[in-house]
Amino acid sequence: MGATGSPPVLLFLSFLNVLSAYAFFGGGDMYHRQVSMEFNPGFNSSQTPPLSVNLLHVRARGENDTLHFLLCSQGAPALLVVHTNTSSSSVKVDWSRFLSDDVSGSVKVEPKGSVRYSSALVFSRLWEYDDVNDTADPAKLPPSSFFPPYELQNFTWGDLNRTTNQIAHRAKLCGSDGSERFFNGSFCLGFSAFESEGRDGSWPRLLYNANSSQLKFWLEGVKERSNFSRFLLELQYVGSSNLPSRVETLRSIDDEYTPSIFQVSQWVSSPPNATTPILGYVQWKPVAYRKATPALVDATPCRHSTPLLMEQLPPSGLVLAYFGKGYEASGLNMTFSIAGDPFYNTTHYLSWSMLVGLGSPPTESFSPLVITIMALGLGIPLLLILLGAICVCIQKQRSGPRGYVPIN
Amino acid sequence: TEEEEKEKKEGRHDEDDGDERGSGGGGSRTMAAICDPTRWPHRIIVLSLMCFLGFGSYFCYDNPSALQQQVKQDMDLNTSSFMQLYAWYSWPNVVLCFLGGFLLDRVFGIRLGTIIFSLFVCVGQVIFAAGALFNAFWLMILGRFVFGIGGESLAVAQNTYAVNWFKGKGLNLVFGLQLSMARLGSTVNMNVMGLVYENIRGLRDGTGYTTLGITLMIAAATCVFSLICALVLGYLDRRAERILKKEVCSTGEVIKLTDVKDFPLSLWLIFIICVGYYVAIFPFIGLGQVFFIEKFNFSPVQASAINSIVYIISAPASPLLGFLVDKTGKNIIWVLMAVIITLASHMMLAFTFWNPWIAMCLLGVSYSLLACALWPMVAFVVPEHQLGTAYGFMQSIQNLGLALIAMAAGAILDSRGYLFLEVFFCACVCSEYSSGEGLVFPGGELNLSTSARARLQKDTLSHSE
Repeated sequence: MGATGSPPVLLFLSFLNVLSAYAFFGGGDMYHRQVSMEFNPGFNSSQTPPLSVNLLHVRARGENDTLHFLLCSQGAPALLVVHTNTSSSSVKVDWSRFLSDDVSGSVKVEPKGSVRYSSALVFSRLWEYDDVNDTADPAKLPPSSFFPPYELQNFTWGDLNRTTNQIAHRAKLCGSDGSERFFNGSFCLGFSAFESEGRDGSWPRLLYNANSSQLKFWLEGVKERSNFSRFLLELQYVGSSNLPSRVETLRSIDDEYTPSIFQVSQWVSSPPNATTPILGYVQWKPVAYRKATPALVDATPCRHSTPLLMEQLPPSGLVLAYFGKGYEASGLNMTFSIAGDPFYNTTHYLSWSMLVGLGSPPTESFSPLVITIMALGLGIPLLLILLGAICVCIQKQRSGPRGYVPIN
Repeated sequence: TEEEEKEKKEGRHDEDDGDERGSGGGGSRTMAAICDPTRWPHRIIVLSLMCFLGFGSYFCYDNPSALQQQVKQDMDLNTSSFMQLYAWYSWPNVVLCFLGGFLLDRVFGIRLGTIIFSLFVCVGQVIFAAGALFNAFWLMILGRFVFGIGGESLAVAQNTYAVNWFKGKGLNLVFGLQLSMARLGSTVNMNVMGLVYENIRGLRDGTGYTTLGITLMIAAATCVFSLICALVLGYLDRRAERILKKEVCSTGEVIKLTDVKDFPLSLWLIFIICVGYYVAIFPFIGLGQVFFIEKFNFSPVQASAINSIVYIISAPASPLLGFLVDKTGKNIIWVLMAVIITLASHMMLAFTFWNPWIAMCLLGVSYSLLACALWPMVAFVVPEHQLGTAYGFMQSIQNLGLALIAMAAGAILDSRGYLFLEVFFCACVCSEYSSGEGLVFPGGELNLSTSARARLQKDTLSHSE
């Protein structure tokens, strides 16, 4: 091995280069927003409010744009996302119309021309079905297996103002249908907004950035209607008619943050031209948990159906108030559990998280620990080979050239 | 494990291939061929009994892996508790590897010893199954502990029997067959236990752990079968001893703990390679089924099949690769190659979605290659009178490493997932690659070809005269 600028050295150095580039520049969105929350914006307290008016307005202000999140429990619970190209936009609600029967046009974002993108995610129904044969495949079950659904538009909700945490930018919306099945239980939605990039603390530990918000759904303590009950959640996504929505499932080799889950699903709306970037998304990992503080064994897979175009907009006050012509809804069903998994009555808890946001969904990357271990693991043997080769070379040099030595 | 014992014996008894065991006094002409201990029909029967002696133990060793999901769900375990089933098998063997030979030679004798260890295996598996039946995890662990006491020592006994009956008459073939039977036991277990569980579940409506208990009791039937083989073998051996007036054969191991301080550095590096390698194989196979189901979307049957491919490949590959290594020498190069192949295989499984059959086949080949190349290396660095201690120590720390890493692997999986677990295994393999390199550069006898080694031995012999 004569030349010391040998292949192993180059390989190792290029590996280090890639690593440092990755560590400094890659894998992170450094965009920062300022988040503020207000409850029932512009509501005059002289008007007597019906109990279940909950409108939370979260404003995430960037340098020259604003992301508005509106969470409302009027009708079916909905999260509205509006992106404007100015940092001084605001939400105007015509409360008298919003609380009346004809709500259309009562929620506006001003100035009108600044809206670049808007969409909404609505939770419309919760189905419970009797899975006697333990197949966890509701598409193949007869209609008689399905109990009458829980229409979320008919639920009564708790006071969003009291469960809002202004500092952590979180809010919790819990409701029940008033029957004895929900006597000790509730259907809850937890909303979180973020100022910058980070990762959630509890499983599925979704990676979020300033352009996303997290919605966690959980069903706690509800009395099931059969011993083999499983649940199915109906979701609707409202977006512009020009932007068809589809669900992509991406495979990932990294399951560090959600052990044993190697997929991520994204419900995206993107323009028909495939080269332009995605405008908005709902992202989730196909896993639901059967305990509030889950261990690996409490994870249960969840599956989604293909999104179908709905004939009309969902029965959510917020959606009907904001969206007019030119918007349509597509809906899908999320089924929880697979055949062989324990039924709902084992733990009386089911939770599932998703990210709702703007732009392209966040992509996972390796943690620094994994990169360090691989670098050390591969680098040290290469280094040893190099050192050994150098030692051998030096030894050969030192022993000098062998040749014929004359006797005298 | 099996092949390590084989390599030991081959290394030591190769020179004895030539000498014939005399038919020493005892009229054999009046007996039928099948009853005559010197004639091959009887010896075939004895050979098959010897092979099936270890079948039950190897079948039941990997029961937790074959039923991973069912055990975790029915007993409500997380992965680190599940891996304790493997850890507690290894704990008694940390000590027993030293004592096994001694117990067989001095205390019990080969026949009684084999029966006792077979009994331990059988009782251990029954306690394990009872733990599942009564939904008592501590009882399952106790069962695995008792099972472990019998399991490894039974392998030593099996080898001693083989040497006793077949020394000089195709011993290598016998070792190969015993190894293949052991691997067959593991393979059948991987592929069959899931189906047995499903059938039992279909037959009865009941709690999960009862189904699990019944399935494990059925598995215990193989241990009972092995126990019967041990009893019959003991009878036939006593009969042959009476007829042929053979002397009692010992395990040939002398364990002296004080030899440990004389071990050279290269031996310690060999120990590191041994530990670092096996801890990246066995715990991985233990946890492999769910990995293939989750990451590659295999069905449980497919996942069990691919998990068993390592064993299936090592059955035919071990004798072939052993032959190759014997012919060419240069053991350390083969060891390094095996380590690199294993590293490549783990990296493929961790960082790509390529068809895992490729990676697992490579793993099977490298596993066989390492066994053939690594264990004889001990004989090259350690004088003959210390071999017993060296091998005992090597197996002891191997079991210690397996016990610790099994629990660590379970904990890692629970908190960080499969990628991190694979990266951890890659790190183990890389660390022993570094040790392997440490063996190359001082040069020396480990890296000699067979001819060079023979010349060296001749030189030392001629110099000593």
